[in-house]
Amino acid sequence: MHVVPQLLVSTILLGGIYALIAVGLTLIFGVMRVVNFAHGEFLMLGMYLAFWAFALLHLDPYVTLVVSLPLIFGFGWLSYRMVMRPVIHASHNVQVFTTVGLSIALQNVALVLWTGDSQFVRTGYYTVVVRLGSAVLNLAQLIAFAVAVLTTAALFAFLRWSYTGKVMRATAQDRAVASLMGIDTGRVFALTWAVGVTCVGVAGVLLAPIYPVYPTVGLQFVLIAYVAVVLGGLGDMAGALIASLIVAAVEVVGSYVIGTAWKEVLYLLLFIGILVIRPAGLFGQRGAEAIGT
Amino acid sequence: MRHVKWMMVVLGIVALALGVGAVQGQQLSGEYKIGVLEPLTGNLAVQGKLHLEGYEIMRDLINERFGGVMGKKLVFVTGDAVDPTVAASEATRLATREGVKIITGTFSSTLCGAASEAASRQNVIYWESSCVDPRLTRRGLKNVFRTEIDGTGFGWYNIEFIAKHLAHRLGKKPSELRVAYLSEDSSYGQSVTESARQRAKQEFGMQEVGLEYYTFTTNDLTPIILKLKNANPDILHHIARDQDAILFWRQAREQNFQVKAVVHAGATGYGAPGFGKAFGNDANGPFALLEPGPGFIIEGMRPEGQRIERAFREAVKAKTGSDVLAGGHQLAGGGLWILKLALDAAKTDDLDKFRAAVLAMDLPVGSAVNGWGVKFDETGQNSNARVQHYMLQWQNGSLVTVWPEEFTTNRAKWIPLGAWDQRK
Amino acid sequence: MKGTWPAVAFFALAALGPVVVRDAFLLDGLILILLWGAAAAAWNVAGGYAGQVSLGHAAFFGLGAYSAALLGTKWGLSPWIGLLVGAVLATAFGFVLGFLSNRLRGPYFVLATIAFSQVLLIVASRWRGFTSGSEGIPVPFRPGFWTLGITDKRVWVAIVLVLAVFLYLVELYLERSRRGYQLAAVREDEDAALSLGVPARRLKVAAIAASAALTAVAGALWAQYVGFVDPFYVFSVDLSIRFALAAILGGIGTPLGPFLGAALILTLETYLRARFGGIGAGLVGIYLIIYGTVLVVMMRFAPQGLVPWVGERLRRRPAAGPAS
Repeated sequence: MHVVPQLLVSTILLGGIYALIAVGLTLIFGVMRVVNFAHGEFLMLGMYLAFWAFALLHLDPYVTLVVSLPLIFGFGWLSYRMVMRPVIHASHNVQVFTTVGLSIALQNVALVLWTGDSQFVRTGYYTVVVRLGSAVLNLAQLIAFAVAVLTTAALFAFLRWSYTGKVMRATAQDRAVASLMGIDTGRVFALTWAVGVTCVGVAGVLLAPIYPVYPTVGLQFVLIAYVAVVLGGLGDMAGALIASLIVAAVEVVGSYVIGTAWKEVLYLLLFIGILVIRPAGLFGQRGAEAIGT
Repeated sequence: MRHVKWMMVVLGIVALALGVGAVQGQQLSGEYKIGVLEPLTGNLAVQGKLHLEGYEIMRDLINERFGGVMGKKLVFVTGDAVDPTVAASEATRLATREGVKIITGTFSSTLCGAASEAASRQNVIYWESSCVDPRLTRRGLKNVFRTEIDGTGFGWYNIEFIAKHLAHRLGKKPSELRVAYLSEDSSYGQSVTESARQRAKQEFGMQEVGLEYYTFTTNDLTPIILKLKNANPDILHHIARDQDAILFWRQAREQNFQVKAVVHAGATGYGAPGFGKAFGNDANGPFALLEPGPGFIIEGMRPEGQRIERAFREAVKAKTGSDVLAGGHQLAGGGLWILKLALDAAKTDDLDKFRAAVLAMDLPVGSAVNGWGVKFDETGQNSNARVQHYMLQWQNGSLVTVWPEEFTTNRAKWIPLGAWDQRK
Repeated sequence: MKGTWPAVAFFALAALGPVVVRDAFLLDGLILILLWGAAAAAWNVAGGYAGQVSLGHAAFFGLGAYSAALLGTKWGLSPWIGLLVGAVLATAFGFVLGFLSNRLRGPYFVLATIAFSQVLLIVASRWRGFTSGSEGIPVPFRPGFWTLGITDKRVWVAIVLVLAVFLYLVELYLERSRRGYQLAAVREDEDAALSLGVPARRLKVAAIAASAALTAVAGALWAQYVGFVDPFYVFSVDLSIRFALAAILGGIGTPLGPFLGAALILTLETYLRARFGGIGAGLVGIYLIIYGTVLVVMMRFAPQGLVPWVGERLRRRPAAGPAS
């Protein structure tokens, strides 16, 4: 029984990490309907950014975060202009394979530049833990969780109440009609993409003191992020957060009760189950999945 | 008469000098080409590259100071074994287009099966230096040889260390030891863990208090750590890849997981320099079964072994600037050295004659690189007992050799491990 | 038949290959082109003709490979039987996926197929007792045609050529027949097709099931050819991407496209690997960067694939009149 608090804490912290990655993804997937295979690679680049800033400039990752925000956003905007814009009106397959190509290229750029070794940001305070009863919380993970909640809330508010946010939601619902209403869908997509990439890049910087980085680290998280996004409903920020917690719970509890060997099967079956029973996700619009584009 | 005598002496000295000079500056007549197949791209590229580097360093050493191979200069043609399909294609290419009669490599268990199969269909010799799949040498293929121990050998040595060394230092009989097994889930992890479990149970009656496999890309090991705490093992037998070792070590510390020893095998995870880079002094404590590292008493080897071992270490240092050899270097270099010995003994690459020469080789421990001996059995496997392996431990943020004690100046510390911040 | 001359030329060249070429490496390349082409063509049945893009077809490939390998190692059965068993199993799983395709569209379906193949991967890599887990299965080599233990690569060319031609004919059937037209209608606009009385749901499921069975056949042959079944490879997303990629690069929804795409990819990879991948190169991975970039560029400029792109270039050439 004494393990319950720790399992709970682990669930929440792990869920926070997944949420950080999922919010950017649900934004992109939700507004642009693009299955972005390169999402994990942007995470990886964020982690390397934090690592090199730490190794070469001795910058603490949280400092790097604040300082590099515009840089990450700019990179997102640039990647949209160069890679995604030309295919934004093309078919799904074309977009999927464009992101696949981007993913392969980015992974191997990292491999060539920085080798395949696992690199870890060992801050001076990496052993600092926060105790909550019999449970132990890693400080960096706690911060990541806090940022995840804040980001989710901020994006939620942005989408719900700001003008740009409404424009994005309109485009998500029906891009043809949105265009007819005078919305520059091109700019909406560029902004969506850049914001999404920024979210996941930020996630990367926050993850650097928690997980070691290596060129294919994105793969560790991206499929789980998709599960969370689908479970939570496309384009739904709060849904992504809650779904991330659910996925984390399945993983953590499944690991403890059944054994870690089978935990992937659990969340994959959960995923398939959701797709069969309620593809729109817990909070999405029913039938959204059958409309496709 | 006197002049004649002196003349004879002078001539004799000149002849001697010329003779010695002739032997020293002996030109290697011609080239001998072999194929080297390693994963140079893809997931396994890091280790594959290290292996290739080890091969190249040893090749240059052999050519410069040890008379080449069968009197000829050894040259390579390389193949890139990205995945099993490509491994087979590349092996075929090396055999047919490049005309090599010997292919060496291939690091990973998932590649050596396909590569050796392709090699045997082209009737070329397949000289494996690293992959540990036990079945490689059990398919009845006459052209397949392996210089390194197989997965069962790793498990064998780990349990040897636990039973013969850790047990008495912990004041327990082997059968009283509580062992928990944790492992990443690839071919490597499974084969080492299963063979360790088997030997531990059958030969020593050790108590198994836990067994968990996980995917090495897992994001959280806390649930496993909680289970391990419940199980309260004396020894944690943990076979890890790279990122999971780092994750586990950090989370184990956070959860204050107390165990008396952590034992691993191989050049990944606790056996990789990356672990020390990640944790510095906080890496102190765990053991990893590897080729000999710092502290290794080279003088304890046989004379011919000392020569090549020293030369190899110098050459690696010259190429990489590091005193510490990477596991990949040692396996590849060690394998290539034995191949040279085999070819020099056989004087041919004709399969039957070569095989006979290889099976006839009988060198005790300490004769070759890494302190290895040589004794191949009928299946083409170099015996576990001759391929001496060593236990290294993280001390002061780097790996040093601690066992077997007769081969090293260092000694294992922190048995039991004790508190997390007490291992300085 | 009009329009099939490029295909006739292609397969004739392939058939001539073993007669003209002795080099085992070149023959190996030909075999892989035909094999990957066949797998891509099988994918094309579902992805191109039925419009159900899947990135989980490795699930079926792996089922075929494992069936052949397991039946051979455990019960000494001929891989031809393993091939049939694999096809049957794949068809069953194909029906499951078909059911999913009727509930999900576009990106959702893609994700479902990925999850599906990953479940099979995990099961195969954990079930030590049955599949030897992560260690995979070395496929026994017993010389003989019935046991598919064939050293002579020319015979292998013949075998995969039969499979490839068969798949081409299946695709041609989907292109030209009434069922094929119905399937095209479903692909273009399912709701409209439904309203016209086309049994859309059944057609889609049938297409996916057929695609699955044929992919499994390719997998079983592959297992016997390469000789080692590794779960992390045969069920990998990378492999699924490879099948789809070959079809898309060559020309999705065209019968010859998958084969041309496979030829292009294999040649490109082999060339890049030889040029940038070997001999102690410190620049490990360069060729994959090129590969990824080529992919992005191709999607930008020739998204329909090579066959239509070339076709268009050829058609445009004479147009130098006032209309252009």
